[in-house]
Amino acid sequence: MNGLRNRGGRRKDAVPAPAGGAAARVGGRLRRVSPYLYIAPIALTLLVFKIVPFFLSLALSFTRYDILTPPVFNGLYNYQKLLGDVMLGDAVRNTLLYAVIVVPIQTVLALLLACCVVGKGNRLTARFAKAAFFIPYLTSASIIGIVWKTLLNSDIAAVEGFFALFGLNASTLLGSSKTALPTLAGIAIWKDLGYYMIIYVAGLMNIPQIYYEAARVDGANKWWEFFKITLPLVKPTTILVVFLGITTSFQVFDLLYNLTGGGPGTSTMTLVMYAYNLNFKSNNAGYAMAVSNVLLLIVAVLSILQRKFVRRETSEW
Amino acid sequence: MKCIRHLVALGLSGAMLLSLLSACGGGGTSGAQPSENSQGQEETQQGESTELLVWVPPLDDDTEASWRPMLEKFEEEHNCTVTLEIIPWTNYQEKYTMAINAGEGPDIGYMYAEMYPTFIDAKAIDDLTPYLTDEDYENYIYLEQTEMFGGTYGLPIVAGVPFVIYYNQDILDSLGEEAPETWDDFKRICAEATQDTDGDGEIDQYGFALGWNSASFGALNSNWYMWLWQAGGDIFNDDLKSVRFNDAAGLEAAEFLMELKQYMPEDALALSNDDCFDKIFGAGKAAFAVKRSSQVQGTTFAQTYPDLNWDYVTALSYKDSATFGAVDSLTLMSACENKELAVELMKYITGTEFMTEYHKTCPGAPLTWDEPYQGDEKMARIVTDDVEKLRTLTVGPKGVEIYEYLWRQLQIMFEGTQTPQEALDEAARYANQLLDEYWAAKE
Repeated sequence: MNGLRNRGGRRKDAVPAPAGGAAARVGGRLRRVSPYLYIAPIALTLLVFKIVPFFLSLALSFTRYDILTPPVFNGLYNYQKLLGDVMLGDAVRNTLLYAVIVVPIQTVLALLLACCVVGKGNRLTARFAKAAFFIPYLTSASIIGIVWKTLLNSDIAAVEGFFALFGLNASTLLGSSKTALPTLAGIAIWKDLGYYMIIYVAGLMNIPQIYYEAARVDGANKWWEFFKITLPLVKPTTILVVFLGITTSFQVFDLLYNLTGGGPGTSTMTLVMYAYNLNFKSNNAGYAMAVSNVLLLIVAVLSILQRKFVRRETSEW
Repeated sequence: MKCIRHLVALGLSGAMLLSLLSACGGGGTSGAQPSENSQGQEETQQGESTELLVWVPPLDDDTEASWRPMLEKFEEEHNCTVTLEIIPWTNYQEKYTMAINAGEGPDIGYMYAEMYPTFIDAKAIDDLTPYLTDEDYENYIYLEQTEMFGGTYGLPIVAGVPFVIYYNQDILDSLGEEAPETWDDFKRICAEATQDTDGDGEIDQYGFALGWNSASFGALNSNWYMWLWQAGGDIFNDDLKSVRFNDAAGLEAAEFLMELKQYMPEDALALSNDDCFDKIFGAGKAAFAVKRSSQVQGTTFAQTYPDLNWDYVTALSYKDSATFGAVDSLTLMSACENKELAVELMKYITGTEFMTEYHKTCPGAPLTWDEPYQGDEKMARIVTDDVEKLRTLTVGPKGVEIYEYLWRQLQIMFEGTQTPQEALDEAARYANQLLDEYWAAKE
């Protein structure tokens, strides 16, 4: 707008230099296209890395494609095959079970930890706790995998003793199809807890202190404050944490691949790992795309649900 | 001021856009492109240098340094440039798939048996038969093992390093036992060796240290093939149209492994075989373990496990005496533009002169009959007395998927969730379904 005013000012002064007029025209054009230029990098990134691959994956899922030779159209064959695929069934079951274990536990723990941290204000202990819980989230899944594998298979008495408290033998946890998935879920919770805690900390800090002060005046205790003020007012954050947790759980791959590779048998095989194996190990890319699209469909439905919930909660709040 | 800010922002935005566009653009020049013209041959005709790109995994601590002096000799003699790229083992096959798909694969590639069906099917590699002479067939020890799908697709470069059974001589001596020769010997010694040596009520010495935690079917090399072959079984039927690992022989092998389970560490399913070897056998806590051999095992074990008094048995005898010995080969890629020269380089690398020199620094089994053995004396009998016991995989279609699923079923069996028969039948059902689809598509 400022530029327009300046241009108008020059016109009023009646000194229409031809060169200046051309510059103004160029400037005007530039101003018109500049918004598109600003968004071009991110738009192109989205187009190349998200939108085109999405349509490609959709198209390739109707083909027999081994990556090395051109795809051959085979109609709905890959989708028909999905229905009778035993390994896919295992992968879907494991993915759901993993999400069912991880999401509630990590949500509750993250909220409790965030309450403790926020309650400590900006003290050294609170700052230390935030950093300590957040570091595993920043660490690569491969390193986490190596560390936990070493810990669980080590002869360290403290580790053995800790698991013995729950009647478990640390060294056999990853080697049994009954305990492997819950163990991996536990490691994933430990890894990501800090991230969700930080989200909750932000949510908690947005709650006006006046509510707590009023409650205290009315004689409310800490539990009462938590259940009647904190919990209802962090509901939008909880919905966000739950849905982020679900979508992350559905896409889990690297930690499981590094620790068990989907075994023993298929007991820790997830949807993403199955699609990865089909695509990169078996060169069965067409079918891998069909499996990926099943995952995409599940995550898309969950995302739509999340948006609906968040919108409702926000409007209620 | 605002105008300048606008211009700076636009400039940065433009720069990002340009970098993104340039990143998306093609432009790789190295490697073998699908032959659009015969530029390479033209260059050679004009007396200019030709470039050959060779992909190999790390074969020793510094393969580039070990090979370079000998490659330079070839370069001088043939007026060409040989570029050696060391491709890490992690996701090795995937790197070939992606590179070939992008038209940036090598001219010569190092491949293991399981890789071949996919690339032969895709016509990404060439049959070497037209380039091989009678002399080659006579001189290469393992050439027969690279014959598959009616052609010869590789020149062996690593062979004669089979998976063998190592034993702890001290434990066997303490039991008054000799090295096992048969399945019965092996099982008996395993039972005797599994003991609580310190009297705390817990087993701390095992008969057999064999780990079962692996994301890859490569674990079949140590955990399955030798037992299957010794029982007289095999993976595929001769026509490659179905599998036979769930027949009586396969069942016998699986049941034998399950009998041995009681002599293995209780966390065997949580340990990889390498970890099991290192932490249990290497620490002197097991009578037997399986591991890939090496011509310098005497030297390396002396450094890694100085207190271990060990020896090995190449293969036990039951109905047959055999063990898995991979034959990895150099392969000619179809997209190579100067195939004559590439094959010449392949023969040079796998030939007597090159390998004799290379094996001086990195000992390995001789690949040709006129190459002298240069490894540890203790390991020599693998490639002399026992060479007939070494077997490689029959290369069949859909191999990777079949082995992958078979490995998972064996894990389930070992855990006790399924019986050997159930596990093998399920793996066979899956494999036969894949093979039916494969052959149906071929028709």
